[in-house]
Amino acid sequence: MQKISFLPHLRKIRIVVSLFVFVAFLLVFLNVRPSILIEITDLLGRLQIIPSAMRFMAMFFAVSGLGFALMLLLTWLFGRIYCSSICPLGTLQDIFIAIARPFKKRKDRKFIYSGNQKYILRYTLLALTLILWFSGSLMLVNLLDPFSNFGRITVSLFKPAYHWLNNQLAFFLERFYIYTVDPIFTPSLSAEIVAVSSLVFISLVVMSVWRGRLFCNTICPAGSALSLAAHQQVFKITFNHDACTLCGKCERVCKAECLNSRTKTIDHNRCVSCFNCFAACSGNGLYYSTQKEIVKVAESAVPENTKRRQFMLTAIGGLLTLPLLKGSAKGQGMSLPGMVPTGTTLPIVPPGSISYEHFTSHCTACYMCVGVCPKNVIVPTFMDHGLQGIMQPKLDFHRSFCNFDCVECTLVCPSGAIKPQTLEQKQVIQLGIARFMVESCIVTVDRTDCGACSEHCPTKAVDMVEWDGLWLPEVTPDLCIGCGACEFACPTYPYKAIYVEANTVHNTAQAIPQSDGPRKEELEEFPF
Amino acid sequence: MKRRDFIKKSVLYTTLSVAFGAALGRIQKAFGQRPAGRTPDLVAVRGGDIVTMYRRAMREMGGMQSIVRRGQRVVVKPNMAWDVTPERAANTNPELVGAIVRDCIAAGASRVFVFDHTVDQWQRAYETSGIEKAAREAGALVVPANLERDYRDVQIQGARRLQTTKIHHHILEADVFINVPVLKHHASTTVTIAMKNLMGIVWDRRFFHRNDLHQCIADICLYRAPDLNIVDAYLVMTRNGPRGVSEADLARMRSLVVSKDIVATDAASTLIFGAQPSDVGHIRIGAEMNIGEIDLEKLNISRIAL
Repeated sequence: MQKISFLPHLRKIRIVVSLFVFVAFLLVFLNVRPSILIEITDLLGRLQIIPSAMRFMAMFFAVSGLGFALMLLLTWLFGRIYCSSICPLGTLQDIFIAIARPFKKRKDRKFIYSGNQKYILRYTLLALTLILWFSGSLMLVNLLDPFSNFGRITVSLFKPAYHWLNNQLAFFLERFYIYTVDPIFTPSLSAEIVAVSSLVFISLVVMSVWRGRLFCNTICPAGSALSLAAHQQVFKITFNHDACTLCGKCERVCKAECLNSRTKTIDHNRCVSCFNCFAACSGNGLYYSTQKEIVKVAESAVPENTKRRQFMLTAIGGLLTLPLLKGSAKGQGMSLPGMVPTGTTLPIVPPGSISYEHFTSHCTACYMCVGVCPKNVIVPTFMDHGLQGIMQPKLDFHRSFCNFDCVECTLVCPSGAIKPQTLEQKQVIQLGIARFMVESCIVTVDRTDCGACSEHCPTKAVDMVEWDGLWLPEVTPDLCIGCGACEFACPTYPYKAIYVEANTVHNTAQAIPQSDGPRKEELEEFPF
Repeated sequence: MKRRDFIKKSVLYTTLSVAFGAALGRIQKAFGQRPAGRTPDLVAVRGGDIVTMYRRAMREMGGMQSIVRRGQRVVVKPNMAWDVTPERAANTNPELVGAIVRDCIAAGASRVFVFDHTVDQWQRAYETSGIEKAAREAGALVVPANLERDYRDVQIQGARRLQTTKIHHHILEADVFINVPVLKHHASTTVTIAMKNLMGIVWDRRFFHRNDLHQCIADICLYRAPDLNIVDAYLVMTRNGPRGVSEADLARMRSLVVSKDIVATDAASTLIFGAQPSDVGHIRIGAEMNIGEIDLEKLNISRIAL
């Protein structure tokens, strides 16, 4: 039992790391950032358990998607480092706890060891999440993934608040002719998304202020998966029986309520590796050890084993029914090609997402793409992709259109639902094809010139041709990239006279030919 | 001081200051008018680089000090609607905008504002067009136009379709309004020059498209015709306008048109483009509504080849 002096400092290191990760993600979701942050969060995003596992499958089992495996390995070695250092939702809960602390009565500030471990709930949720996931529905993944919940809370709750503050400052500075702060347009969000995010937010506040990391140890599927990895942990936080004075300080700061100072035991399944106990211990009462704990306390050991057995049975049962479920999901799925009538009903998905199916089967609805889209064309939806794609975003061409010279969304997606694109690649990705409704057009109905569609078109797939002394739109499908500029600009209502019909599988449009530069056509004489 | 005294005095001083203000305004107006016939109605320059052509044209027009007086607020309105680089000439040449801003400040302008209600994402368009940087370096305030709160409801007297609309508040507050379009092909209006460039000062452009585009473009010119129009016809987009798809859409025409008459500006520029002004709806309507002169024969034109 050697003395290790750096252990008390682990808490500080954890706080610094977690705040760095938290702030980095927060800024990217809010779209206030130096561009270097995109690269940092790209790496950090790969460590997020659920998006990373999703990415692993989206990228055909690519090494870049192995972040979740790295996290599992780290957990097996040292415990659930992810939960306190890498997970932004974990840090958010820690922030709630820290804010609430001064408002609590002194006697209520301490945490008390909880023997009630809720294994059934958490492992059932994990099993259900996995079963649904592998049978083709992301319903529970999207509802429960901590990273995606953090993203949704930031985009739908924090972002409007940030915009408001930013704009107040911008309007104030404007009075003094200072234009260094740009005012930001705040797009409206669907009420359902705001409601879901608010509900999750309030639940998190209540749970964390009341019982610390209760969410992480009862509901969070990433937490539950890591719990399994933490079970046979190699290096465990262990009591040093000679040095421990039974002062109980460690138990009082244990957010996971997993440390019993009287019996000197720690439930490592629930420990979130916050290292508060190391920092609280005035001596060397706790340390990392490879040894089996000397004292095994009977109190929770037996029910724990029974419950674990129950979980194993549930999981095996679930796995057995998998092929069955997969078949039925294919049959009923709303998001699969062939099941949705082609035309206006299929939502448009971002460039780089390969196909409608690829996007909807890999997007965890974290809204990072929504957060960084400069045109606000990527919008959250609630049920547009069905229950299995709950809350996944889409492109809404009635609100805006996809900026031609922009690849922002493709650079940030942590789950691999949208793959990175260069500008040249993105500019020929055909999301859909514009369809012109001649009987609905201003030009044919009112007999006045309009051409808003063609004016906005970046590839001139929509051009104007002479018609009865006026100019009438005409679409060249091969040139169309489905950016929605024409649909957005079309001034007719309630129905647009030109709209983009989604491609179920994204296609490649004809590239604009390289030019030799401007022609030399200088005037010989003025024509007047 | 008694209340009665106070009321008396405040009424007196208010009356005096209003009268003084009105007199001052009249004096300034009298001085502002230059002798007619001395300066040409329209200057067309060709064969130089953009800033040289602009300087030459302004010398002909009597210099920027004949347009901008000391202490005045100026709006310079380029076309910077697109997230496209200067080489593609979908936006006004940034060097030209910079030179104009510099001249306004040299003429004593208190503040010079530059903005456009962009089509592409506004921050990207401001930046990629190169105009934000050039105008800022020249001393202008490059201001946002992306929120509806920046626009005010106005009535347009004599308008046929666009009786009411929302216009950017800096236009309403400006003493001098300088319009700096770029000459381009336009898919539905044949050309986009000075008149069409005013669509960048209004909030609701869809209304234009829904309610006879050409008529609305003419109507907007009734509200506040620019004090000066400077057309960048150096690189001219001759097809695939107004955004263009590549540099192959451009012709290097190396020309520039300056005039106080917005219809004449457009008429001359349309001829340079290679179309007939009377074939362009809004120019023809503009002439019909006496916004300006479409018949260049009637104007005193100064033609300069460098």
